[in-house]
Amino acid sequence: MRTKNIVILSGKGGVGKSMLASALSMLFSLEKKTIALDCDVDTPNLAIWLNEEGGKIISTTNSLKPEIDKRKCDGCGLCVENCQFSALIMEKKYPKLNPFICEGCGACKVVCPKGAISLKPVQNGEIKIIMTKYGFPLIYGRLFPGESGSGKIVSKIKEKAEKFIKEKDIVIIDSAPGTGCPVIASVRGSDYAILVVEPTISGVSDMKKALSVVNYFNVPFGIVVNKWDINKRIFKSIEKQFKNKILGKISYNKEIFKAISSLTPIMESSLEAKNEIKKIYLKLLTTICA
Amino acid sequence: MEKICITGGKGGVGKSMFAILLANDLLKKGKKVILCDCDVECPNDYLLLGQKLGKLVGQIYSEFPKIDNKKCRKCGICVKTCLSNAIFQAPEKYPLIIENLCSGCKACGIACPYGAISFYKKRTGRVFLTKVKKNFWLATGLANPGLEETGLIAAGTKNTILRLSRKINPDFILFDTAAGIHCPVVSVLIGCDSAYCLTEPTPMGAYDLSLILELCRKLGVKSKVVINQADLGDKAKVYKIAKKFKVKIEKEVPYSKELAIAYSNGNLLNFWK
Repeated sequence: MRTKNIVILSGKGGVGKSMLASALSMLFSLEKKTIALDCDVDTPNLAIWLNEEGGKIISTTNSLKPEIDKRKCDGCGLCVENCQFSALIMEKKYPKLNPFICEGCGACKVVCPKGAISLKPVQNGEIKIIMTKYGFPLIYGRLFPGESGSGKIVSKIKEKAEKFIKEKDIVIIDSAPGTGCPVIASVRGSDYAILVVEPTISGVSDMKKALSVVNYFNVPFGIVVNKWDINKRIFKSIEKQFKNKILGKISYNKEIFKAISSLTPIMESSLEAKNEIKKIYLKLLTTICA
Repeated sequence: MEKICITGGKGGVGKSMFAILLANDLLKKGKKVILCDCDVECPNDYLLLGQKLGKLVGQIYSEFPKIDNKKCRKCGICVKTCLSNAIFQAPEKYPLIIENLCSGCKACGIACPYGAISFYKKRTGRVFLTKVKKNFWLATGLANPGLEETGLIAAGTKNTILRLSRKINPDFILFDTAAGIHCPVVSVLIGCDSAYCLTEPTPMGAYDLSLILELCRKLGVKSKVVINQADLGDKAKVYKIAKKFKVKIEKEVPYSKELAIAYSNGNLLNFWK
């Protein structure tokens, strides 16, 4: 079997992606060489789920922001006119940048007739590695608050991870919520997708949106229903609709909050979820090795 | 008119639930409210309120480049200019545009020395509005499926509703954001009068709260904290973060099974009677 990249996504946030990613990484690592990637670079939580922190920086990431040389600028305003993101405004005869909405596209630099604009790299994030106590490495990225470019950080995590990945390894990719650039970058190139859904009308609606991204890339998928028992009617309709795509279900238990708060990984707790995730793991194993 | 943002960094911490709860509180005080769902990749407020999207009140367009091969001399300047890597050129061939990667910045068109690049408009998002009941409107922004850069759709949704609000004249507009701290969240937070930052009493909730509070501080938006499912887990870490950022814990919402069921079925409209 060659390397398998397994991406975990859901559309809706807070439905159990990182919980499942942490548990599956631990289970896979008992039998195969495993590597976990936290590609939710806005709010990376996988390290906390594994009761780890810190790590070693293996890369920094940059975005480009324009710098205006007032000695060369004659205040013509062409850059302001041509910024499609309204990140530049005229203030006291000179253009002024709002760095928070600047996309770093460089249109202002290209249009400036005086050569007054240059693009300067600004650090927007970092990529770290932790060797976890479970024996597998975790690579995660972090977008700094107020910076832009999360999709590119995800692509860079994958690029940096390549040198740690060998033939036959299992790569678990924990994605961000939503369906935009960081999620698309997470799904691209994956061999299998796990969609996590909770039986709520919003959970199902968002999971289907995430599924459309998975289908766009033609990635085979399975579904895990988390907190399946909070609404059995909706659970049944998910079951009916996705039949053999369902990898398994996980029960709701308020005690999970206590386990999380004391930083006990699910697989080391005494929650029913532990056995349910083991079953999911076994089914996943037969599915991806088939 | 007050513009309030409901955000939180972490997903699934109850942003939409709290936005509806807050709208309900304001309605009870006789205020006129627009709830604007700016989670344009996965908008859920209409589902939670058991509503249809309603009337199409705004369309958001981006402009994408098109290359005229009769004018193009294959110089490759457009390829070098595009920082989104959305233009690809094989040796000796005409450049190709990969629309999915294009941010719509138009830099390629400015850079082309032969005027070979023109632009065509394409709809990338829509804004809907529906009147839920007396004094209560719900707006929903929706990005085209598969769109990568959704920041412009979130910003466009907000601007459409700000324009329309002149007609409705509400006392409050509540902007419900996506999870995360990136462009679709930033573009909604900018210019709001204040923000409620939702979190949950877990170490993950506390860490993600620190990120969104830092973002609010950088953007100059006054923030308050709301802890959802406050009686489960451990609040100590959340309190510590709130103290560090000198922000107030505005509300603690306890876990409620009835609320969870109403939420799952999309029955929040009349839940807090």
